[in-house]
Amino acid sequence: MKTEHDVSREMQSAYVDGEVDQADWGRIAGHLGRDEALRAEVCGIRTVKDLVQGAYAVPPQAPRRGAAGGRRWAAIAALCLVSASAGWLLHAALAPDVSVTEAALAEGASLREVSNERVVLHVSTSRRETLQTALDDVEEVLRAAARRGRRIEIEIVANSSGLELLRADTSPFPARIASLRAQYSNLTLVACNQTIDRLREKGVMVRLLPGVQSAPTALDQIVKRLQGGWAYVRA
Amino acid sequence: MFGVQAAMRRETARSREALYRLAYAWCHDAGLADDLVQETLLRALDRSEQLRDPARLKSWLCSILANCLRDHYRRLRACVDIDELDEAVLGHDQTPEAAHTSAQLVARVRAEVGRLPLGQRQVLTLVDLEGCSYAEVAEILTVPIGTVMSRLCRARATLKERLLDAAPESARRDDANKIRIVR
Repeated sequence: MKTEHDVSREMQSAYVDGEVDQADWGRIAGHLGRDEALRAEVCGIRTVKDLVQGAYAVPPQAPRRGAAGGRRWAAIAALCLVSASAGWLLHAALAPDVSVTEAALAEGASLREVSNERVVLHVSTSRRETLQTALDDVEEVLRAAARRGRRIEIEIVANSSGLELLRADTSPFPARIASLRAQYSNLTLVACNQTIDRLREKGVMVRLLPGVQSAPTALDQIVKRLQGGWAYVRA
Repeated sequence: MFGVQAAMRRETARSREALYRLAYAWCHDAGLADDLVQETLLRALDRSEQLRDPARLKSWLCSILANCLRDHYRRLRACVDIDELDEAVLGHDQTPEAAHTSAQLVARVRAEVGRLPLGQRQVLTLVDLEGCSYAEVAEILTVPIGTVMSRLCRARATLKERLLDAAPESARRDDANKIRIVR
């Protein structure tokens, strides 16, 4: 660290990043004109910045991405953006291939509050209480619909630690899930293959409960459902 | 209105790419980076009512990504100081090698970025890759702006020392080209 100028390393970085105000910029520029050592320091910071930018300009592709992946990512990001914007933008701003209704977004709603006929319930946690509540809600909604003759479909999509719910070796409620499945044909269970692959990479043998289907990724499945007009609820 | 649609689609496509690049720069694991981006976008969908100003989409998504990564490491190792995460998480046996080709240079820079403590790595990449202002970084990582500046400064000083100052000596290490990031 050179001491003949009073431009700290923090300020040198800030200068390179355009984060100094006009007065500091002028002062540092003045020092740079006179101080060769300071010039070398700042040049070094610029070089490091360029190296870092160059090192991540083209990050390696994630394994196993389907061709539709990019479009679906854009779709779900669009959902985030659109639903955060003013309501009047909602219908107008959605891409044509994302036919999602306002109800489908079901912001922060619980399963029992959703009026849609088709609901995707996303489970990404292994918290026992959360899983129990989710199953309680699923059962209540299915039972009420059956009683009223109302048509409904529920799909539970599990990923991350939520996959534990659908694994034969870890599920805290295997009997209850089997009973729900036997009772309600309009309940489907979908496991995220990406989560399964990651577990297998770690040497975990994953066995799913009977009747559990799988999808390439939870996100793919959820976006597919949203595009089909399903409501999204997170457990 | 079509202009708004096109702009949004461009913006969201950019967000996804940027998030993945950032996630990869933070964890150096393509599969994990992809998972983190997936989780980030799902959380974002779940909490989209929190985003009042669409212009802040990038910062908002970055902060969710930072939380996802923190949660991941918490699951990995209970009770860990994020600033202490360095080789323990991103360990590797790489030693500096000659940057004969751009691919080697890229690998070497990534390896050195990977050796930085996570807190420094996050600040560095938010500023250099995402072009975030210091104020934005402070908000994303919920740290004071002074911390942003000092982490950035330390990160760059370390990289400068390891990549620029040490280059002539390491240029002879032809046999050390393999970079191995331990997951």
